[in-house]
Amino acid sequence: MTTPAISFSEIVTTANGVEFTLDVPHNRCVAIVGDERSGVDDLCGVALGLEPAGSGTVEIDGQNLSQLSRTEALAFRRKLGYLPAGDGLMQNLSLKDNVALPLRFGSNFAEKEINGRVRVILAALRISQAAGLRPAVVREEHRRRTAIARALAFDPNILLLEAPFDGITDRVAAELLDIALGGEHSGGSRRTVLVTTQHLPQELLSRIHSIYRAAKGKLHKER
Amino acid sequence: MIAPISAIGRGISRWVSTVGALARFLSVILVAAVRLPAPGRKVVWRVFKDQIWFTAVQAIPLLAILSAILSFLVISQAVKELGRLGASELIGTLLVLAIVRELGPLLTALTVAGRSGTAIASELATNRAMGEIKALEGMGIDPVHYIVLPRFGGAVISIFGLIILFDIVAIASGLVAAMSSGMATTRYFEIVMRSLTFQDIWITIAKGFVFGGVIGLLPSFQGLAAGGASTDVPVAASKAIVGSMLGIFLLSVVFVLFSI
Repeated sequence: MTTPAISFSEIVTTANGVEFTLDVPHNRCVAIVGDERSGVDDLCGVALGLEPAGSGTVEIDGQNLSQLSRTEALAFRRKLGYLPAGDGLMQNLSLKDNVALPLRFGSNFAEKEINGRVRVILAALRISQAAGLRPAVVREEHRRRTAIARALAFDPNILLLEAPFDGITDRVAAELLDIALGGEHSGGSRRTVLVTTQHLPQELLSRIHSIYRAAKGKLHKER
Repeated sequence: MIAPISAIGRGISRWVSTVGALARFLSVILVAAVRLPAPGRKVVWRVFKDQIWFTAVQAIPLLAILSAILSFLVISQAVKELGRLGASELIGTLLVLAIVRELGPLLTALTVAGRSGTAIASELATNRAMGEIKALEGMGIDPVHYIVLPRFGGAVISIFGLIILFDIVAIASGLVAAMSSGMATTRYFEIVMRSLTFQDIWITIAKGFVFGGVIGLLPSFQGLAAGGASTDVPVAASKAIVGSMLGIFLLSVVFVLFSI
């Protein structure tokens, strides 16, 4: 049996929240939908060891991040892609520098190579023209595109997206999810994508392999 | 009867716990400086240079004016009054002890705490409120490496440099004041140099690093410790400036006690 990409076991993130037990297989896109009382909003943070879990365990690629030292956990997270809720872009950096930041900090690439890589990602996300601007002066859509671009900087195999479709149109959401999935793979999508959200646009349903809904104190698998 | 004593006890316990947390935070920064990963050094260096620009270079005009006016006022009055008593030699002691060693570092540190300490605390608290700290951690970037370390280092170097500048301007301005009161240049420098001891120099240098450490440490600590709401930003800035001022005054007293 292969290790799941992400495995939640009896995770409860908030008081009186839902207990999450599910596996996210490799090369699949899984969405967990629920309101803020359910604790869905904190799932990605708990999985990455950024927030403590009330109870239960989470493993990513067989690794429980809460058991790693701080330095090991930071190094492990550089292998993943993460989009926090509200984008979390550095306000004092341009969109381009935001995308380059993880590469500058976490790789040995030369500056020329980083710039080349960033140019390609910005073009794929269609934000090249706004690349020199800071997050505060661009539209919500551009900020979300930049945040996705930053999460993809290392071309990770596993992507965790927190409320990624808030404030953007369904069409843009579908486009961004397609980019996040990274195209087709024999077993599904090229990347494993976990989406946690309070609302899932109708247009995305065909792109998502499994949907879980946290409601009435329980986690239900819709499909 | 019990209630006031219990309130005092709670206050002391909170204060001790904050001092402990600050000491732990300082050790985290120092360890981070040693363990800074090689690829991140260039980025941290860039933020460090920006911090020097904001904290030191942009503060030069303000501190030069403060220093020049303070020194001019003190020395011109001193030359007149002490000259009347036949004790004009004492202006050297006054300049070195009062301005170069005590007021120079104190005023420099307080000015920078007001200018840059609040800015650092507000910036870091905003980083927290905007989810930037969580995003950095999620990307595998240690916020202490990227945000705190360059600001701490920048503050230490800036304060040190600004204190030296303050003292040089104070001595130059004192010369102008002395000359305008009829004292010869050579006489002025002779008096000042005779009053300046090795102890004055090392205390001034030590104050530069210690006060710089306070201004680098406290605002960063308060900024990172802020809650996630935008209303926590001014609270963090306020705590940072109050804590920094208190720390600077208390440490000034410690320096005086050690130099007696």
